[in-house]
This record gives sequence, C-alpha cells and structure tokens, in this order.
Amino acid sequence: MKNIWNTLFLEERPSIGLSFFRIFVALAVGLHVIPSFFHLEDNYLSTAFKTFNYNFFPPSIIDWVQKSPDVLVIIFVWAFLITWFCFLIGLFSQISCILMTLCCYYFYALNDFHIGTLSWDILLVTLFLMCVTPYHGDYFSVDALRRGDIDAWRRKRPFFIQRLLQLQTASTFFFTGLYKITGQGNWITDNPIYYLMNYPTQGVTKNFLLKEWMAGHPHFCYVTGLMIVATELTMPFLLFIPRTRRAAIILGLCWHILLVLTLDVPAIFLFLFPAQMMLFIHPQKIIDWIEARRRINAKSPHPKIIYDGNCGFCRSSVRVLQVMDLWGKLEYVTGPKGMSEMKLYTSDDKIYGGFFAFRRLAWMLPMLYPVLPLVYFPGAGILGPLAYRWVARNRYLFPVFHTCSGESCHL
Amino acid sequence: MMNIQLRNKFISIFVVLWLAIFYYESTCYYYLQPLFKRELPRMKFLFPPAGWIMFYNIEDNFGYTEVYGVKNGNPQLIDPHQIFQTRALGYDNINRNALITVLTPGISDSFCPFLKRKFPYFEKFLVTYVEYPHLTEQPFEKLQKVVYACGG
Repeated sequence: MKNIWNTLFLEERPSIGLSFFRIFVALAVGLHVIPSFFHLEDNYLSTAFKTFNYNFFPPSIIDWVQKSPDVLVIIFVWAFLITWFCFLIGLFSQISCILMTLCCYYFYALNDFHIGTLSWDILLVTLFLMCVTPYHGDYFSVDALRRGDIDAWRRKRPFFIQRLLQLQTASTFFFTGLYKITGQGNWITDNPIYYLMNYPTQGVTKNFLLKEWMAGHPHFCYVTGLMIVATELTMPFLLFIPRTRRAAIILGLCWHILLVLTLDVPAIFLFLFPAQMMLFIHPQKIIDWIEARRRINAKSPHPKIIYDGNCGFCRSSVRVLQVMDLWGKLEYVTGPKGMSEMKLYTSDDKIYGGFFAFRRLAWMLPMLYPVLPLVYFPGAGILGPLAYRWVARNRYLFPVFHTCSGESCHL
Repeated sequence: MMNIQLRNKFISIFVVLWLAIFYYESTCYYYLQPLFKRELPRMKFLFPPAGWIMFYNIEDNFGYTEVYGVKNGNPQLIDPHQIFQTRALGYDNINRNALITVLTPGISDSFCPFLKRKFPYFEKFLVTYVEYPHLTEQPFEKLQKVVYACGG
C-alpha cells in the first residue's frame, strides 16, 4: 500500500512536463481575462454592468470588492498583466502564479459576467494546484536561466502536483459524462445534440459544415450524444491504463479541437484542456526522447559558438545558452581575448556574427522560439546589430550570474 | 533543505485533503445532498457550486434576450454586440447567450443605467424575452414579451 502511494504521489519524476504545462495555463488565463480589459468601462469600472457569483464568493467578499474605486481597478489590471507575463515566462514562477491567481479572484468577484464560466472554475482549480509548488518553473522559464543549471530539463520533483492535475482532468471528464445521464441530465431520455443543432444563432452552436444536415437527422444526433457520454465516462480509465493511454491522449486532443470547431466555448477549451491531455505522458518518456535526440546531435557535426572567454558577462550568457540548449546542438569554444562579437559557425560552413548569430540561434533553441517574431520584425535587422554592438562594447560593465563571476564559470 | 520524510508527510496530508474536498465538492449538489436529504456544508472560493455540469441538460426550447431602444415612440432592435462589445478569442460570448443574464430578477437597476450610458440617443429601452417553446416540432413558433422597460 505504501509503495503504491509512493509511486502515485511521492516518487520523484522529471518536472519538464509541468513546466511546459505552465505556458499553456498562462496562455489560457491571459486569453480569457485580457480581452475583458479592452472595455474596462463596460466590465469593471463604476460604469460597468456587473453580475456576481454569490455561490462562489461569500456576499461580504463581493460587497468589499465592489467598494473598489476605479483607480484600484486600474492598479489591479496592471498587477494582473505584470504577474501574468512573469508567470508566462517563468520569472519567480510560484510567486507570480500566486499573485496572478489573486488578481483573477479579484476580477471574478468584481464582475463575473465575462470571465465566469464553468471552464473558468476548472482553470481556477488548476491554478490553485500550480500555486502550491514552484516545480512548474524548473524549465522553459527565466528562473531556470537565472539558476544556470544546465541539467534543469531533467530535474526531478515529487509527482503529486502532476498526478492531482491528471486526476482533476480525468474526473472532470467522468463527472461531465455522469451528470449528463443522472440527476437532471437528459442525454439518455432525450436528444440534446439534435436540439443544439436546431438552436437559432444566439445558441451556443457554431455554423460548422455538418450542422444543417445533423439538424435534420435526429437518430444520428442521438447516437452521437450516446457516444459522447460513453467517451466521457471511459476517458479516465483509458487515460490511466498504460496500454490505452496514447490513444486516449489523441482522442482527448481531437475531442477538444472538435468542441472548439463546433461550439462557442471559451478559449480555455483551446489552450488548457488539450495541454491537460499532455500531462498524461510519462515524464521519463519525455526525458528519454530528449536524450535520444541529444545522442543523435552528439554524433553529427555541431554548430560552434565562439565567444570571449575572458568576459564574465559573455561566460554567463553562454551558460544561459547551455541551459536553453535542450537538444544539445551547440559546441562552445573560447575565442581570442577582446573579440568584438560572438560568432556562430554552422555545420554547413556558414559564419554568423553578433545579432545575426543570435537570430540564427533563435531557430536552434526551443526556449528562444518566442523571440523569433521580435528578431525578424521589420527593422530588427538594423536596430538589432546596433543594440548588440552597444551591449558588446559595455559587456565588462554588465552584471553576471553568480555562477559565472571571476573564473568559476567553467563551461 | 527539508527532511524528505517530513516533506512526504506534508505532501501526503495535502493530497488526502485535496482529494477529499475535490470529490466531495464534485458530487455534493446532485448526489450527496439528495442522498442525505439536507443541505450540506460547502466550500467557497474554489469549486463550481453545482459540480461539473457542462451541457448536461439541453431541452427542446430556447430563449434569448432582445433589447430595443425607443425613439419618438419607434422601437428599434439594438445589436447585442453593440451592447456588450468585449470580444473574446475564438468564440462569441453573445452566441453563448450571455445576454440572457440581463433577465435575472432585480438586475434592471444595474442594466438600465448601463444602457442609458451606452445609447444616449434613445429615450427608453425595452428588454424582451424571446422564446421558441418547441424548437424541433414547431420551429416557427416564437413568443416574445417585454420583461422590463428602462426610462420613459
């Protein structure tokens, strides 16, 4: 019994999957909440139309939040945006997660009209679990770069948070199916899909290709409804049984894509729920896959980074590159003292320098993918080299990570 | 560095508590309360009050809200997207029937000033409920009634 408990919750497993999941949670939160900030006067300020969720919040909390002057609302908007961005990039990821979640609660209590949905409640439960530990900042994060640990991608942590998130996902599937066929659910006794297909435009159904055809075929709709319930009820078992897990993850991904294509459901369905499916991939399999790719890259010719080994800032920057180099693609070579810019020698014998070397690196390192639009933005080819040269000229003045001060940063 | 045994104890306590609350809250409204035939204590702040009831009951009828602005005695339908202009990514909140909320009893005190601020052109507003009582059997049977009026 103790062994089973240990395996389920306490065993240390790589946290890379949870780190990846953090990005999708942040996207789901941001894309759900931020649009409501574009019309503050309609949604949150004193001129707004507001509705309140008294089942979720005690009345005293709602009354207290309603006393917020407009300036406090604006402060919370900025607080949300800053903490959300920090959570997205993994800067102080646990603290930013807690503060962002508090902001989410504030806006939910202030007005639940635009953000309050059942999927939002699912997101809040997820956020609560994410607040409990800093594990989600172990990789794909600025925290990982700050720590300078080049093995951060294989860092192991107790598995309980990911396991609880798995259980939450599986249980949500199961209860959603169960409620449809018990209590006041009418998916066995009636034909809900058929009704949905016949709803007018104000209904929740999008105008997808088969809608009109389905609206005229009640039997097909009924069988589809039964298949949906059967899938929801069996999904938890399929996800937890190793032999069926892969098929269940693919089924779950297709499921949510279909939902988004056919129904007007919140962005949470697009960003959070498919990512929840990925939590069922065993973290060790992810590590094995990365290691296999690293082994392949180790055998093939490496692109070389030539850098100024006498400059602490350069050494610490190269350490950051090493942390980001998930696929083990690069080789790091100390160049002559006082070289004016970093050089990148690619395996097809091309040489890039300075900003253009960095731009080339952005294609090679997964953690730099988000800066690709920035470094290819019109004008970046002119401003980028200027900024790079300024940094290069002043590189001896920049602070370095403590792991790379003096001669201690051995690469 | 926290002792591993102590850490595991903390984790175990957290996991047990979390699982107990999660499954209690997931089943309380529709299963436990009918079973015990009384209202059970609930935890605020975290879980949906009625459980995970997505699309659990869909009937053959459908109702939505239409808001009319009245000028010189002439009613004019206001596009619901003009009333609530917040746009979401990947879906249309109006098509999720968000406007039905304005029919909640007592909400006219907040909705009427909102309409007056957004549409100063109109002298008064009529908030109506449109209902298709039997969508599949009688798709053209449509009922409409004024639920409340603002101004004038």
